[in-house]
Amino acid sequence: MLKMQKLIQIIILFKEYFVLVLLVIVSLILLGSNDNTQVKAIRSYTVAFVGIFQDAISIVPNVFELKRDNEILRQLSVNLSDEVNRLREARLENIRLRAMLNMKERSEFKLVACDIVGKNLHLLRNTITINAGESDGVKIDMPIISETGLVGKVIATSNHHSVCQLLLNKDFRASAKIQRSRIDGIISWSGGETVQLKNVTKTQDVKEGDIVTTSEYSGIFPPNIKIGFVSKIVEVQGNLFKDICVTPGVDFPSLEQVFVIITAIDAERIELEQKILHPKK
Amino acid sequence: MMRHIKYLIFVYILIIIQTQVFQLLSINGITPDILTIWIVYVALTHGQLYATIWGFVAGLMFDLVMGNFIGLSALTKTVAGFTAGYFYEENKAPATLGSYRFLLLVLLVSIIHNTIYSIAFTRGSDLSVWEAFFNVGMATTFYTSALTLIPMFAFARKYTR
Repeated sequence: MLKMQKLIQIIILFKEYFVLVLLVIVSLILLGSNDNTQVKAIRSYTVAFVGIFQDAISIVPNVFELKRDNEILRQLSVNLSDEVNRLREARLENIRLRAMLNMKERSEFKLVACDIVGKNLHLLRNTITINAGESDGVKIDMPIISETGLVGKVIATSNHHSVCQLLLNKDFRASAKIQRSRIDGIISWSGGETVQLKNVTKTQDVKEGDIVTTSEYSGIFPPNIKIGFVSKIVEVQGNLFKDICVTPGVDFPSLEQVFVIITAIDAERIELEQKILHPKK
Repeated sequence: MMRHIKYLIFVYILIIIQTQVFQLLSINGITPDILTIWIVYVALTHGQLYATIWGFVAGLMFDLVMGNFIGLSALTKTVAGFTAGYFYEENKAPATLGSYRFLLLVLLVSIIHNTIYSIAFTRGSDLSVWEAFFNVGMATTFYTSALTLIPMFAFARKYTR
Protein backbone atom coordinates (compact mmCIF):
# COMPACT_ATOMS: atom_id res chain seq x y z
CA MET A 1 0.00 0.00 0.00
CA LEU A 2 2.83 2.30 1.00
CA LYS A 3 4.70 1.35 -2.13
CA MET A 4 1.62 2.13 -4.22
CA GLN A 5 1.32 5.55 -2.63
CA LYS A 6 4.98 6.22 -3.29
CA LEU A 7 4.55 5.19 -6.90
CA ILE A 8 1.56 7.52 -7.28
CA GLN A 9 3.58 10.33 -5.70
CA ILE A 10 6.42 9.73 -8.12
CA ILE A 11 3.99 9.72 -11.06
CA ILE A 12 2.41 12.97 -9.87
CA LEU A 13 5.84 14.52 -9.35
CA PHE A 14 6.99 13.61 -12.85
CA LYS A 15 3.61 13.68 -14.56
CA GLU A 16 4.85 15.89 -17.39
CA TYR A 17 7.51 13.33 -18.30
CA PHE A 18 5.12 10.41 -18.06
CA VAL A 19 2.63 12.19 -20.29
CA LEU A 20 5.39 13.07 -22.75
CA VAL A 21 6.61 9.47 -22.93
CA LEU A 22 3.08 8.17 -23.30
CA LEU A 23 2.16 10.62 -26.06
CA VAL A 24 5.45 10.06 -27.91
CA ILE A 25 4.79 6.31 -27.80
CA VAL A 26 1.27 6.84 -29.13
CA SER A 27 2.66 9.08 -31.87
CA LEU A 28 5.26 6.49 -32.81
CA ILE A 29 2.61 3.77 -32.93
CA LEU A 30 0.54 5.99 -35.20
CA LEU A 31 3.63 6.65 -37.30
CA GLY A 32 4.23 2.91 -37.51
CA SER A 33 0.74 2.39 -38.89
CA ASN A 34 1.69 4.37 -42.01
CA ASP A 35 2.97 2.53 -45.01
CA ASN A 36 4.94 5.20 -46.85
CA THR A 37 8.63 5.15 -47.69
CA GLN A 38 9.61 7.38 -44.76
CA VAL A 39 8.03 5.04 -42.24
CA LYS A 40 9.61 2.01 -43.91
CA ALA A 41 13.02 3.68 -43.64
CA ILE A 42 12.39 4.65 -39.99
CA ARG A 43 11.35 1.08 -39.25
CA SER A 44 14.56 -0.25 -40.75
CA TYR A 45 16.60 2.26 -38.70
CA THR A 46 14.69 1.24 -35.58
CA VAL A 47 15.35 -2.43 -36.23
CA ALA A 48 19.06 -1.69 -36.78
CA PHE A 49 19.20 0.43 -33.61
CA VAL A 50 17.42 -2.21 -31.53
CA GLY A 51 19.70 -4.84 -33.09
CA ILE A 52 22.80 -2.97 -31.89
CA PHE A 53 21.37 -2.88 -28.37
CA GLN A 54 20.39 -6.54 -28.52
CA ASP A 55 23.90 -7.43 -29.66
CA ALA A 56 25.39 -5.49 -26.77
CA ILE A 57 22.96 -6.93 -24.23
CA SER A 58 23.36 -10.49 -25.50
CA ILE A 59 26.97 -10.44 -24.20
CA VAL A 60 25.55 -10.42 -20.67
CA PRO A 61 24.51 -14.02 -19.90
CA ASN A 62 21.10 -14.83 -18.47
CA VAL A 63 21.82 -16.89 -15.36
CA PHE A 64 18.54 -18.82 -15.50
CA GLU A 65 18.93 -19.51 -19.20
CA LEU A 66 22.52 -20.62 -18.62
CA LYS A 67 21.41 -23.03 -15.91
CA ARG A 68 18.75 -24.47 -18.17
CA ASP A 69 21.17 -24.69 -21.11
CA ASN A 70 23.69 -26.38 -18.83
CA GLU A 71 21.15 -28.99 -17.77
CA ILE A 72 20.16 -29.65 -21.37
CA LEU A 73 23.81 -29.95 -22.43
CA ARG A 74 24.58 -32.28 -19.53
CA GLN A 75 21.63 -34.48 -20.48
CA LEU A 76 22.77 -34.41 -24.08
CA SER A 77 26.29 -35.31 -23.01
CA VAL A 78 25.02 -38.33 -21.07
CA ASN A 79 22.90 -39.43 -24.03
CA LEU A 80 25.78 -39.00 -26.46
CA SER A 81 28.18 -40.80 -24.16
CA ASP A 82 25.73 -43.69 -23.97
CA GLU A 83 25.34 -43.62 -27.74
CA VAL A 84 29.13 -43.62 -28.23
CA ASN A 85 29.48 -46.59 -25.88
CA ARG A 86 26.80 -48.53 -27.70
CA LEU A 87 28.35 -47.71 -31.09
CA ARG A 88 31.79 -48.73 -29.83
CA GLU A 89 30.30 -51.97 -28.55
CA ALA A 90 28.55 -52.53 -31.87
CA ARG A 91 31.76 -51.85 -33.77
CA LEU A 92 33.69 -54.40 -31.71
CA GLU A 93 30.88 -56.92 -32.05
CA ASN A 94 30.88 -56.26 -35.78
CA ILE A 95 34.63 -56.94 -35.96
CA ARG A 96 34.24 -60.17 -33.97
CA LEU A 97 31.26 -61.37 -35.98
CA ARG A 98 32.99 -60.60 -39.27
CA ALA A 99 36.01 -62.62 -38.17
CA MET A 100 33.74 -65.46 -37.12
CA LEU A 101 31.75 -65.29 -40.33
CA ASN A 102 34.96 -65.36 -42.32
CA MET A 103 36.11 -68.39 -40.35
CA LYS A 104 32.78 -70.15 -40.76
CA GLU A 105 32.99 -69.67 -44.51
CA ARG A 106 36.54 -70.99 -44.64
CA SER A 107 35.98 -73.91 -42.32
CA GLU A 108 35.50 -77.41 -43.71
CA PHE A 109 33.51 -78.38 -40.60
CA LYS A 110 29.91 -77.83 -39.72
CA LEU A 111 30.00 -75.06 -37.12
CA VAL A 112 27.38 -73.87 -34.64
CA ALA A 113 27.93 -70.28 -33.58
CA CYS A 114 27.03 -69.45 -30.01
CA ASP A 115 27.54 -66.86 -27.29
CA ILE A 116 29.27 -67.45 -24.01
CA VAL A 117 26.64 -66.91 -21.33
CA GLY A 118 28.74 -67.91 -18.33
CA LYS A 119 32.44 -67.94 -17.50
CA ASN A 120 34.49 -69.41 -14.71
CA LEU A 121 38.13 -68.53 -15.29
CA HIS A 122 39.38 -68.29 -11.74
CA LEU A 123 39.74 -71.90 -10.70
CA LEU A 124 41.98 -74.68 -11.96
CA ARG A 125 38.96 -76.18 -13.67
CA ASN A 126 38.10 -73.29 -15.96
CA THR A 127 34.82 -73.69 -17.82
CA ILE A 128 32.41 -71.64 -19.87
CA THR A 129 28.69 -72.04 -20.53
CA ILE A 130 27.42 -71.49 -24.05
CA ASN A 131 23.89 -70.93 -25.33
CA ALA A 132 23.85 -73.96 -27.67
CA GLY A 133 22.75 -77.41 -26.58
CA GLU A 134 21.47 -80.73 -27.73
CA SER A 135 18.67 -79.07 -29.73
CA ASP A 136 21.43 -77.48 -31.84
CA GLY A 137 23.19 -80.79 -32.36
CA VAL A 138 25.80 -80.23 -29.64
CA LYS A 139 27.08 -83.36 -27.91
CA ILE A 140 29.65 -84.15 -25.23
CA ASP A 141 33.33 -84.06 -26.37
CA MET A 142 32.63 -81.84 -29.35
CA PRO A 143 35.46 -79.32 -29.87
CA ILE A 144 34.99 -75.62 -29.22
CA ILE A 145 36.96 -73.15 -31.30
CA SER A 146 37.10 -69.43 -32.00
CA GLU A 147 38.51 -67.52 -34.94
CA THR A 148 41.87 -67.42 -33.14
CA GLY A 149 42.19 -71.10 -32.23
CA LEU A 150 41.18 -74.00 -30.00
CA VAL A 151 39.06 -73.09 -26.99
CA GLY A 152 38.18 -76.43 -25.40
CA LYS A 153 35.56 -79.17 -25.59
CA VAL A 154 31.99 -79.80 -24.45
CA ILE A 155 31.73 -81.72 -21.16
CA ALA A 156 28.03 -81.39 -20.36
CA THR A 157 24.91 -80.56 -22.35
CA SER A 158 21.29 -79.65 -21.83
CA ASN A 159 18.66 -78.81 -24.43
CA HIS A 160 19.80 -75.25 -25.00
CA HIS A 161 23.03 -74.89 -23.09
CA SER A 162 26.38 -76.65 -22.80
CA VAL A 163 29.29 -76.47 -20.39
CA CYS A 164 32.72 -76.49 -21.99
CA GLN A 165 36.08 -77.43 -20.57
CA LEU A 166 38.67 -74.85 -21.59
CA LEU A 167 42.21 -75.39 -22.75
CA LEU A 168 43.16 -73.77 -19.45
CA ASN A 169 41.72 -76.61 -17.39
CA LYS A 170 43.66 -79.02 -15.25
CA ASP A 171 41.78 -82.00 -16.75
CA PHE A 172 42.15 -80.94 -20.37
CA ARG A 173 44.35 -82.97 -22.72
CA ALA A 174 44.80 -82.79 -26.46
CA SER A 175 47.14 -84.35 -28.99
CA ALA A 176 49.18 -81.62 -30.60
CA LYS A 177 52.05 -81.09 -33.03
CA ILE A 178 54.57 -78.48 -34.04
CA GLN A 179 53.31 -77.28 -37.41
CA ARG A 180 56.80 -76.67 -38.86
CA SER A 181 58.62 -79.86 -37.76
CA ARG A 182 55.61 -82.20 -37.26
CA ILE A 183 56.82 -83.11 -33.74
CA ASP A 184 54.01 -84.60 -31.61
CA GLY A 185 53.16 -83.99 -27.98
CA ILE A 186 50.35 -83.68 -25.47
CA ILE A 187 48.89 -80.34 -24.48
CA SER A 188 48.00 -79.91 -20.83
CA TRP A 189 47.69 -77.06 -18.35
CA SER A 190 48.92 -76.68 -14.84
CA GLY A 191 48.10 -73.06 -14.09
CA GLY A 192 49.20 -69.71 -15.52
CA GLU A 193 48.54 -68.12 -18.85
CA THR A 194 50.34 -70.73 -20.95
CA VAL A 195 49.80 -74.44 -21.62
CA GLN A 196 52.54 -77.06 -21.83
CA LEU A 197 53.45 -79.26 -24.75
CA LYS A 198 54.61 -82.47 -23.08
CA ASN A 199 56.42 -85.62 -24.21
CA VAL A 200 58.83 -83.79 -26.53
CA THR A 201 62.37 -85.07 -26.10
CA LYS A 202 65.41 -82.81 -25.96
CA THR A 203 66.64 -84.01 -29.36
CA GLN A 204 63.46 -83.03 -31.21
CA ASP A 205 63.30 -79.87 -33.30
CA VAL A 206 61.24 -77.23 -31.56
CA LYS A 207 61.90 -73.49 -31.67
CA GLU A 208 60.34 -70.54 -29.97
CA GLY A 209 57.65 -69.06 -32.19
CA ASP A 210 56.66 -72.38 -33.71
CA ILE A 211 52.92 -72.76 -34.29
CA VAL A 212 51.25 -75.56 -32.35
CA THR A 213 48.15 -77.23 -33.81
CA THR A 214 45.98 -80.23 -33.02
CA SER A 215 47.32 -83.45 -34.47
CA GLU A 216 45.73 -86.26 -36.45
CA TYR A 217 45.99 -88.63 -33.48
CA SER A 218 43.15 -87.10 -31.48
CA GLY A 219 39.83 -88.87 -31.45
CA ILE A 220 38.07 -85.65 -30.37
CA PHE A 221 39.75 -82.70 -32.09
CA PRO A 222 40.06 -82.47 -35.85
CA PRO A 223 43.66 -81.95 -37.02
CA ASN A 224 45.33 -78.60 -37.80
CA ILE A 225 43.33 -76.42 -35.46
CA LYS A 226 45.65 -73.76 -34.12
CA ILE A 227 46.32 -74.00 -30.39
CA GLY A 228 48.98 -71.31 -30.03
CA PHE A 229 52.70 -70.73 -30.44
CA VAL A 230 55.79 -71.85 -28.58
CA SER A 231 56.74 -69.00 -26.27
CA LYS A 232 59.38 -70.62 -24.04
CA ILE A 233 61.58 -73.74 -24.12
CA VAL A 234 63.41 -74.92 -21.00
CA GLU A 235 65.78 -77.89 -20.92
CA VAL A 236 66.16 -79.20 -17.37
CA GLN A 237 69.33 -81.14 -16.63
CA GLY A 238 68.68 -84.84 -15.95
CA ASN A 239 65.32 -84.73 -17.69
CA LEU A 240 64.68 -86.46 -21.03
CA PHE A 241 61.99 -84.05 -22.10
CA LYS A 242 61.87 -80.36 -22.86
CA ASP A 243 59.57 -78.04 -20.90
CA ILE A 244 57.74 -76.25 -23.73
CA CYS A 245 55.40 -73.38 -22.91
CA VAL A 246 52.72 -72.64 -25.49
CA THR A 247 50.84 -69.35 -25.44
CA PRO A 248 47.25 -70.02 -26.54
CA GLY A 249 46.00 -68.19 -29.60
CA VAL A 250 42.73 -67.51 -27.82
CA ASP A 251 42.45 -64.58 -25.41
CA PHE A 252 40.21 -66.28 -22.87
CA PRO A 253 39.30 -63.31 -20.66
CA SER A 254 37.89 -61.37 -23.65
CA LEU A 255 36.25 -64.35 -25.34
CA GLU A 256 32.54 -63.74 -26.07
CA GLN A 257 31.54 -65.88 -29.06
CA VAL A 258 32.66 -69.39 -29.99
CA PHE A 259 31.86 -72.18 -32.43
CA VAL A 260 31.04 -75.77 -31.70
CA ILE A 261 32.43 -78.14 -34.33
CA ILE A 262 29.69 -80.64 -35.05
CA THR A 263 31.70 -83.79 -35.60
CA ALA A 264 30.67 -87.41 -35.65
CA ILE A 265 32.61 -88.96 -32.81
CA ASP A 266 34.43 -92.05 -33.95
CA ALA A 267 32.96 -94.23 -31.19
CA GLU A 268 34.44 -97.44 -32.57
CA ARG A 269 37.98 -96.00 -32.49
CA ILE A 270 37.56 -94.60 -28.97
CA GLU A 271 36.17 -97.90 -27.73
CA LEU A 272 39.08 -99.86 -29.23
CA GLU A 273 41.66 -97.43 -27.78
CA GLN A 274 40.04 -97.59 -24.35
CA LYS A 275 40.00 -101.39 -24.56
CA ILE A 276 43.72 -101.61 -25.26
CA LEU A 277 44.74 -98.85 -22.79
CA HIS A 278 42.50 -100.17 -19.99
CA PRO A 279 42.08 -103.91 -20.61
CA LYS A 280 40.48 -104.60 -17.23
CA LYS A 281 37.48 -102.24 -17.86
CA MET B 1 -14.81 20.83 -20.05
CA MET B 2 -16.21 23.75 -21.97
CA ARG B 3 -12.73 25.17 -22.24
CA HIS B 4 -11.53 21.95 -23.78
CA ILE B 5 -14.31 21.93 -26.32
CA LYS B 6 -13.54 25.55 -27.10
CA TYR B 7 -9.89 24.63 -27.58
CA LEU B 8 -10.84 21.77 -29.86
CA ILE B 9 -12.94 24.07 -31.99
CA PHE B 10 -10.16 26.65 -31.92
CA VAL B 11 -7.57 24.11 -33.03
CA TYR B 12 -9.85 23.04 -35.84
CA ILE B 13 -10.18 26.64 -36.97
CA LEU B 14 -6.40 27.07 -36.79
CA ILE B 15 -5.93 24.00 -38.96
CA ILE B 16 -8.36 25.39 -41.51
CA ILE B 17 -6.43 28.65 -41.49
CA GLN B 18 -3.14 26.78 -41.76
CA THR B 19 -4.20 24.65 -44.67
CA GLN B 20 -6.46 27.04 -46.54
CA VAL B 21 -5.60 30.65 -45.77
CA PHE B 22 -1.84 30.32 -45.31
CA GLN B 23 -1.56 28.80 -48.76
CA LEU B 24 -2.19 32.32 -49.94
CA LEU B 25 0.80 33.54 -47.93
CA SER B 26 3.22 30.85 -49.02
CA ILE B 27 6.63 31.86 -50.32
CA ASN B 28 8.16 29.14 -52.49
CA GLY B 29 5.80 26.67 -50.83
CA ILE B 30 6.89 27.71 -47.34
CA THR B 31 4.10 28.62 -44.94
CA PRO B 32 4.23 29.72 -41.30
CA ASP B 33 3.16 27.21 -38.65
CA ILE B 34 0.36 28.76 -36.69
CA LEU B 35 -0.23 25.66 -34.60
CA THR B 36 3.28 25.91 -33.13
CA ILE B 37 2.64 29.52 -32.13
CA TRP B 38 -0.58 28.45 -30.43
CA ILE B 39 1.14 25.59 -28.59
CA VAL B 40 3.80 28.00 -27.24
CA TYR B 41 0.99 30.27 -26.13
CA VAL B 42 -0.72 27.37 -24.30
CA ALA B 43 2.59 26.40 -22.67
CA LEU B 44 3.17 29.92 -21.37
CA THR B 45 -0.35 30.34 -20.09
CA HIS B 46 -1.18 26.82 -18.79
CA GLY B 47 2.05 25.01 -18.19
CA GLN B 48 4.02 22.07 -19.52
CA LEU B 49 1.48 19.28 -19.00
CA TYR B 50 -1.26 21.16 -20.75
CA ALA B 51 0.99 22.18 -23.61
CA THR B 52 2.24 18.63 -24.10
CA ILE B 53 -1.28 17.20 -24.26
CA TRP B 54 -2.62 19.95 -26.51
CA GLY B 55 0.44 19.70 -28.69
CA PHE B 56 -0.39 16.05 -29.24
CA VAL B 57 -4.10 16.74 -29.87
CA ALA B 58 -3.42 19.61 -32.29
CA GLY B 59 -0.77 17.60 -34.12
CA LEU B 60 -2.99 14.56 -34.40
CA MET B 61 -5.90 16.63 -35.69
CA PHE B 62 -3.60 18.21 -38.25
CA ASP B 63 -2.38 14.79 -39.35
CA LEU B 64 -5.93 13.49 -39.66
CA VAL B 65 -6.99 16.52 -41.69
CA MET B 66 -3.97 16.22 -43.97
CA GLY B 67 -4.36 12.44 -44.16
CA ASN B 68 -0.66 11.98 -44.78
CA PHE B 69 2.01 10.63 -42.45
CA ILE B 70 -0.32 10.25 -39.47
CA GLY B 71 1.50 10.61 -36.17
CA LEU B 72 4.39 12.79 -37.36
CA SER B 73 2.84 16.16 -36.44
CA ALA B 74 1.46 14.60 -33.26
CA LEU B 75 5.00 13.62 -32.31
CA THR B 76 6.67 16.91 -33.24
CA LYS B 77 4.02 19.08 -31.64
CA THR B 78 4.01 16.98 -28.46
CA VAL B 79 7.75 17.59 -28.15
CA ALA B 80 7.21 21.26 -29.02
CA GLY B 81 4.62 21.64 -26.26
CA PHE B 82 6.83 19.88 -23.75
CA THR B 83 9.84 22.07 -24.64
CA ALA B 84 7.85 25.27 -24.50
CA GLY B 85 6.43 24.21 -21.14
CA TYR B 86 9.86 24.56 -19.56
CA PHE B 87 9.48 28.34 -19.87
CA TYR B 88 6.19 28.48 -18.04
CA GLU B 89 6.21 30.84 -15.08
CA GLU B 90 3.03 31.35 -13.11
CA ASN B 91 1.57 34.86 -13.39
CA LYS B 92 4.29 35.90 -15.80
CA ALA B 93 2.58 34.78 -18.97
CA PRO B 94 1.28 38.26 -19.98
CA ALA B 95 4.72 39.76 -19.62
CA THR B 96 6.34 36.97 -21.63
CA LEU B 97 3.70 36.93 -24.34
CA GLY B 98 4.06 40.64 -24.91
CA SER B 99 7.84 40.60 -25.11
CA TYR B 100 10.57 39.39 -27.47
CA ARG B 101 10.88 36.30 -25.24
CA PHE B 102 7.71 34.96 -26.84
CA LEU B 103 9.35 35.45 -30.22
CA LEU B 104 12.56 33.74 -29.14
CA LEU B 105 10.63 30.87 -27.59
CA VAL B 106 8.66 30.32 -30.79
CA LEU B 107 11.96 30.39 -32.66
CA LEU B 108 13.52 27.77 -30.35
CA VAL B 109 10.49 25.51 -30.29
CA SER B 110 10.07 25.82 -34.03
CA ILE B 111 13.70 24.81 -34.61
CA ILE B 112 13.24 21.68 -32.48
CA HIS B 113 9.90 20.94 -34.12
CA ASN B 114 11.27 21.32 -37.64
CA THR B 115 14.43 19.40 -36.89
CA ILE B 116 12.44 16.33 -35.83
CA TYR B 117 10.04 16.84 -38.72
CA SER B 118 12.87 17.11 -41.27
CA ILE B 119 14.68 14.05 -39.95
CA ALA B 120 11.54 11.92 -40.10
CA PHE B 121 10.22 13.35 -43.35
CA THR B 122 13.41 12.86 -45.37
CA ARG B 123 13.90 9.19 -44.38
CA GLY B 124 13.64 6.91 -47.38
CA SER B 125 13.79 9.81 -49.83
CA ASP B 126 16.59 11.28 -51.94
CA LEU B 127 16.35 14.55 -50.03
CA SER B 128 19.11 15.02 -47.44
CA VAL B 129 18.28 16.04 -43.86
CA TRP B 130 20.40 19.17 -44.06
CA GLU B 131 18.84 20.22 -47.31
CA ALA B 132 15.37 19.68 -45.89
CA PHE B 133 16.22 21.39 -42.63
CA PHE B 134 17.84 24.49 -44.11
CA ASN B 135 15.61 24.89 -47.16
CA VAL B 136 12.28 24.02 -45.57
CA GLY B 137 12.70 23.68 -41.79
CA MET B 138 14.63 26.89 -41.13
CA ALA B 139 12.57 28.82 -43.66
CA THR B 140 9.41 27.72 -41.92
CA THR B 141 10.98 28.55 -38.55
CA PHE B 142 11.80 32.10 -39.57
CA TYR B 143 8.50 32.57 -41.31
CA THR B 144 6.68 31.33 -38.19
CA SER B 145 8.78 33.56 -35.98
CA ALA B 146 8.01 36.47 -38.20
CA LEU B 147 4.32 35.73 -37.94
CA THR B 148 4.69 35.59 -34.13
CA LEU B 149 5.34 39.31 -34.20
CA ILE B 150 1.62 39.89 -34.77
CA PRO B 151 0.36 38.15 -31.62
CA MET B 152 3.39 39.42 -29.70
CA PHE B 153 2.50 43.03 -30.46
CA ALA B 154 -1.13 42.27 -29.84
CA PHE B 155 -0.36 40.83 -26.42
CA ALA B 156 2.03 43.65 -25.64
CA ARG B 157 -0.64 46.14 -26.44
CA LYS B 158 -3.29 44.25 -24.51
CA TYR B 159 -1.27 43.69 -21.33
CA THR B 160 0.44 47.07 -21.14
CA ARG B 161 -2.80 49.00 -21.17
